[in-house]
Amino acid sequence: MDFSFIVVQLISGLTMATFLFLIASGLTLIFGVGKVFNFAHGSFFMIGAYVGYQFSSVWGQSFWLSLVCGGLFAGLLGMVAEYFFLRRIYGRADEGGFQILLTYSFILILDDLVKLVWGTEYKSLAKPPALSGAINMGGIVVPTYNVAVIAIGLVVVVAAWWLLNNTRGGRIARASALDREMLSVLGVNVPMTMTLVFGIATALSGMTGVLAAPLRSVTPGAGIEVIIDSLIVVVLGGLGNFWGAWLAALLIGEVNSFAIVLVPKWATLFSYLVMALTLIFKPEGLFAPRRVRRV
Amino acid sequence: MLTSALAQDKVIKIGALYPMTGRSGIYGMDSVAAAEMAAEEINSKGGVAGYKIQFINTDSKAKPDYSVTVAKRYISDDKVNFLFGVVSSAVGLALTEVSKQEKKIFIGTDHAATELTVQNLQPYYFRVSNNTFQSMAAGALYLKELAQTKPWKTIAYIGPDYAYGHAQIEELKFNLDRFGVKYQMVGEYWPKLFESDYTSYITSIMQAKPDILVSGFWGGDTVAFIKQAAPYGLFEKSLYFHPDAGGNYELLSAMGDSLPLGLVLSARHHNNWPDTAMNKDYVSKFHKKTGRYPTYAAEGAYVGVYAIAEAVKKVGNPNDTDALVKALEGLKFQQPEDPEGFTSYIDPASHQIVQVQAIGVTVPNTAFPPATRMLGQWKVYKADELLPPKEWIEKNKK
Repeated sequence: MDFSFIVVQLISGLTMATFLFLIASGLTLIFGVGKVFNFAHGSFFMIGAYVGYQFSSVWGQSFWLSLVCGGLFAGLLGMVAEYFFLRRIYGRADEGGFQILLTYSFILILDDLVKLVWGTEYKSLAKPPALSGAINMGGIVVPTYNVAVIAIGLVVVVAAWWLLNNTRGGRIARASALDREMLSVLGVNVPMTMTLVFGIATALSGMTGVLAAPLRSVTPGAGIEVIIDSLIVVVLGGLGNFWGAWLAALLIGEVNSFAIVLVPKWATLFSYLVMALTLIFKPEGLFAPRRVRRV
Repeated sequence: MLTSALAQDKVIKIGALYPMTGRSGIYGMDSVAAAEMAAEEINSKGGVAGYKIQFINTDSKAKPDYSVTVAKRYISDDKVNFLFGVVSSAVGLALTEVSKQEKKIFIGTDHAATELTVQNLQPYYFRVSNNTFQSMAAGALYLKELAQTKPWKTIAYIGPDYAYGHAQIEELKFNLDRFGVKYQMVGEYWPKLFESDYTSYITSIMQAKPDILVSGFWGGDTVAFIKQAAPYGLFEKSLYFHPDAGGNYELLSAMGDSLPLGLVLSARHHNNWPDTAMNKDYVSKFHKKTGRYPTYAAEGAYVGVYAIAEAVKKVGNPNDTDALVKALEGLKFQQPEDPEGFTSYIDPASHQIVQVQAIGVTVPNTAFPPATRMLGQWKVYKADELLPPKEWIEKNKK
């Protein structure tokens, strides 16, 4: 294994990590702020991809417009789901069970919706022409599009960090994760905050769907597949921990990438192995901050 | 009431289980459309031996246990004469058990696990489309020929990590040895079924530098892999060889211009091969009926209904199961995928259809939109060369 190959393999792992993180970040945000586990998060990814396909492949619009529209549509749909359905189960004694049932039903409904509108055939979306080539860095060939995906992932990490720490909205979101009652006493519309957070998270998932579409096949049921991988990332990162999700995505991406080289027959096992070991030895998540006991 | 009851007596009832939803939904929908088309054709000519064909389908959801329940209901309540269909080999393996217990003939289409006609063969099961062994035997012959014009040494394999993928590569290796082809295996890669990110596999394969990359993907996995591998230049470095399901029309139509030229692919049926009146007629009728060109699964279902009709024609009624089994054994009838001068037949020993297989190369062709590439530069392999040899069957039956 020479040096340039290690670099190539690192970058491959980074591409996978970026997609994992982009999906897991929304899941983490919703869990962090509202303690809601949105099992249907991957379905918003799928919806985004289909809307992107509609704009780009059917209506011939630019990729970037499709990206924005896919995100907007998934975001709006997410807000509708939160406002009309999820909101009704908050605070119930058995909220956890209802969350799973309700968000799982979203998966079934969205899958059927996609089949009704677009059919069951695989759909495909082209890359933007400017990003369709490859960059050759002294023998290390990396597709331009993959580099762009990695860059977009970095921008999202930095932007989300900045928004959460430096804006009023970010502070409210962080505060509502800690004490919703106090926040509402202070005059903040907490339910509206949750709807907005849900919208932002599903918009992010929808955009990621469009971003992933030129590399994958757009197909009904895609939501379930991405949710399982991002679940691993969210659990490893520590539920609701944004930075944890980022580090966990990097870890899973790279573990996977090098397992493929070293033990190709068992490569798919490793991400599950990492998760199992984490659950046994550090069930609160690899990157979870030390717990502060509230008195 | 009385008339409808009487009318029902003169019916050949086929109970099918095709998936209509999920990842393999498109194969199920195409199969049902084609089977209905065959039933309509036969009925419009007055049916068979005084019987009309009645085709019913239930969504199998590609789930074996659920399909078994439906199949039993088909037999007990609906009184079907034949079990039919299924895309997934797992469902096929579950249904062949029902067929054996209930002594009800099961016509298998599209599912390709070789074991159904080898280890798990039972008297009431018949398969009317190719199994993976036949595809891999054709693949091995192609590679043998290729070595004479374009010498190659090394092979790598990538395919889904479940029974289908593992069986394919074992069958390919067996056939390469059987035809005396020298090769060196430089890597086997096993992403999970429906993996969405192949980037790290691609860079790892490029490091292994195989002359031939054999692929065992199907459906959307092929689309995702090719899209991700093309910008790395993988297809310029290694010959992409996909002899079982790679040349499915579904891939050609989904990828359009983004499908690289020069890939070597095959499938169980091709819309532009053979160039016979029967194939052209079948493809255009399907297009007229559904508004789209068929994926390969459709032809298996179409042919399956005709197999039933031919057998009933010989026996004279659809209820004499033992006579129908005898009629199906060795049954010979013309199919859309038969080239000039060849007629497919069911091998009496294995209950497996014996067919010619053609392997082609992706070339520009806009005759079947939205595809802009189809297969061409065909190499055609004789049917009887592709069947598993006796010693292989004996070894695997143990």
